[in-house]
Amino acid sequence: MSIRFRFLVILLFIGLAGVFLSPTIKWYFFTPEDRAALANSSKEQIREYAKKQAAVDLEILTELVKVSPDELLADTYEFLISEAKRNYKLEERDIPGSWTVRSTLEGYSSANEVFSALEDYHREDIMGLKEMKNKILQLGLDISGGLSVTIEADAANLAERLGHEPSADELDEAIALAMTTLTSRIDKFGVTEPSIRKQANNQILIEVPGEVDQETVNSFLHGKGTLNFHIVNDDATATVQNIIRNNPGEVFENGRPSDDSLLPEDVIVLGVYKKDNYDVDVFSNYVAVSKEAGLDGSYLKSVDINRDSITNQPYIRFELEEAGGDIFFELTNNNIGKRLAIVMGDKIKDNPPTIQAGLRYSGVIEGFSESEAQGLSVVLKTAALPIDLNVIDEQAVGASLGSDAIQTGLWAMIFGFIAVIIFMLIWYRGAGLIATFALLLNFLFIMAILSTFKMTLTMTSIAGLILNVGMAVDANVIIFERIREELKSGKTRAAAVDAGFKKAFWTIMDANITTLIAAIFLSQLGKGPIQGFAVTLAVGIVSSLFTAIFVSKAIFTFGTDVLRKETISIGRRIK
Amino acid sequence: MEKTYNFTKLRFVMLSLSLVLIAVFWGGTMLRGGFNFGIDFQSGLNQRIQITASSEVVESDVKDALSGIDSLQVQSIGDEADNEFMVRVGVDDSIENFQRVVKEDIFSKLETSFGKGSIDIRSSDYVGPSFSGSLTSQTLFLTFFALVLILVYIWIRFKLNYALSAIAAIFHDVLFLLGFIGIFQLEFSTATIAAVLTIIGYSLNDTIVIFDRIRENTKVIKGKTFEEIINISVSQSLSRTIITSVTTLIAVTSIFVLATGSIQTFALNLIVGVIVGTYSSVFIASSILLGWHNLGTKQTAKTVRSKNTSEGEVINFNKA
Repeated sequence: MSIRFRFLVILLFIGLAGVFLSPTIKWYFFTPEDRAALANSSKEQIREYAKKQAAVDLEILTELVKVSPDELLADTYEFLISEAKRNYKLEERDIPGSWTVRSTLEGYSSANEVFSALEDYHREDIMGLKEMKNKILQLGLDISGGLSVTIEADAANLAERLGHEPSADELDEAIALAMTTLTSRIDKFGVTEPSIRKQANNQILIEVPGEVDQETVNSFLHGKGTLNFHIVNDDATATVQNIIRNNPGEVFENGRPSDDSLLPEDVIVLGVYKKDNYDVDVFSNYVAVSKEAGLDGSYLKSVDINRDSITNQPYIRFELEEAGGDIFFELTNNNIGKRLAIVMGDKIKDNPPTIQAGLRYSGVIEGFSESEAQGLSVVLKTAALPIDLNVIDEQAVGASLGSDAIQTGLWAMIFGFIAVIIFMLIWYRGAGLIATFALLLNFLFIMAILSTFKMTLTMTSIAGLILNVGMAVDANVIIFERIREELKSGKTRAAAVDAGFKKAFWTIMDANITTLIAAIFLSQLGKGPIQGFAVTLAVGIVSSLFTAIFVSKAIFTFGTDVLRKETISIGRRIK
Repeated sequence: MEKTYNFTKLRFVMLSLSLVLIAVFWGGTMLRGGFNFGIDFQSGLNQRIQITASSEVVESDVKDALSGIDSLQVQSIGDEADNEFMVRVGVDDSIENFQRVVKEDIFSKLETSFGKGSIDIRSSDYVGPSFSGSLTSQTLFLTFFALVLILVYIWIRFKLNYALSAIAAIFHDVLFLLGFIGIFQLEFSTATIAAVLTIIGYSLNDTIVIFDRIRENTKVIKGKTFEEIINISVSQSLSRTIITSVTTLIAVTSIFVLATGSIQTFALNLIVGVIVGTYSSVFIASSILLGWHNLGTKQTAKTVRSKNTSEGEVINFNKA
């Protein structure tokens, strides 16, 4: 292998590592805390932020156009120009020579249009950050602080509910439904991006980063009645449309407009959400509904999707428990012709259907597409948990402990690194420098691989990393010791290096493959912490093989072939 | 050629020393009531609590404050001035919603004793009964398979007696480390499993490097007994063995010095493991290999003799 080729490969790997690591570095070191917090928040919170920001910007721009319309547009609003330009072209107007505040805004037909352009910009800004965040080395809950709960579905309970032993499919279905329910309940609390995963043995693992209080958890595990039926107030809804027209930045905090007197006391404004292609709730419009819920979802007994025998249109049929039936009859019978909003948390799910007649124990909701019907039936089904869930493992780490942990970890790593490097330099002199270089490169590669595969950095994986610092030099040590032996037997630099690497190669391979076997098995074991440690160890072994064998060899060969060195600095009394 | 140390001369001393120590450790562990199983293996609630108080709070203060709670353990962690404690409560099936009820109970009891707002729950772990069981069986299962796979690999790359000697050395290390953890009542947690498995990997690594030398030297060096070859090989690898142990120990010690709690225990496990792993690859693994070899040659010698072949050939065989 030519020396040039070797260095090209090394440079390629370093370049790749840099590319993979850059989001991580950008995120942890160059993203201001408030922006990071935003990117961590739920999509709904981002939407609210974008709207608020856009409202502020719009106000500033309106002010500017009054005071100094001919001033050049500030750089911070440059993003408005491209769409303005497009609009100018579309309307076949002359594109202005310079983009002043006025000429830019004239590219838009209304304040509403400017507002949505501003909102888009702010949303894309944070969503882009959020996307980047998904490509970085994640911090485990023990470092970032947070809560992890493992819950187990109670199969006996399902048997009781069904009246027979559940089949594997029935159990899976119940668990899947329970997970959907949990997801929507956790979402409702606006908790930062929880992760909910199914584990083996009917277990579900929920991880919520950040500071979480116990009450939140209890409410989403045991909480009832997150689903409610409200009657839509059409007059108030019309008023809401007006408010939005006059004030595009209105966000209806707590369901009320900023000017509280505009709406009657007994209504609240809620957003209608529809599932998009990605199964994400997307806001569609605002509707005003009665403040008091007509009926709460815990009375629901069963929900099915059926098809009309003639039109083949899907409809949802639901049944209520007896107590709920009476309440529902009163509600529907008094409000025939009005619309009924199905409210989950504080979102209205899909467009509210119109009430056709008084209903008692069962009702039919129709007028949906197939997928809408599917979506709504899931909403109704998840009003109550389909199966009892028991907490079998729960870990909460306060953020303060987490930041202590990462500090300790970082210091231990720095000390370990420096001490090992000093030792290698004293022992091996010049060759120690090569080992140091290999060690640093090894560290870079490990971090890059861990971020590429979105591994989570926990306290134990930091321990694995530190242990790796000590063990990674081993391959170098084996090679160096061999080279020393060869030199003692009187070989020249080139011959000694060659023989040293050749003889050490299989020793290193055998030794590391066995360790790798242990590490890979370890990574299959148990929960997060051990896995993190094992994965780091395994990645470290592979990476240290590359740096010790391939990279060190390249440097030695470079010294022999290019620098024409004839001796090696590889410890005392040896030349 | 560097100086050759006669390691095998010490082999019976070292083997007995190991056996005695392991026996003492395990005996001690039994006397102290078995392992100190951590939260991962023992269902219950484990909380790390910091108390802000003007005066120093000691373990017994916390215990007094929490009296009335069954199967309670309190342990001070970290710097004493930090007033930080690990509070563990075993699962009581008779209490519904155990972790919730007990958590609230602990919090309110501590607040009553040390004042409102003085209690900071820094972390809280709850493990239910079914969870702890599955982890134990999974660990044993996976460790067993890892060992079988390692055995097969060494068997293919070396020979069966090398593989079995290496595995025997691993058993030595694991028994020693577990005994150490038991007699000093270090907490046995999931991290302990990670430590034990790491040490398996580390010790194997060490052993294989030496075995590799032995294998190589049996081909290169003629006219020496297997025992001499072992001593030469171990001596040749000695500087590497020591340097790698030193660098690893440097790294692990830095964790031990700086960390607290379970990570510190984890680092201590690793320190002990690295030392014992290094010791076993130098003294134990090759001793067993030699013992095996001697046993094998004696039997070969017997069969050969019964076939009336001259003894000179047998000696030759020994030296090969």
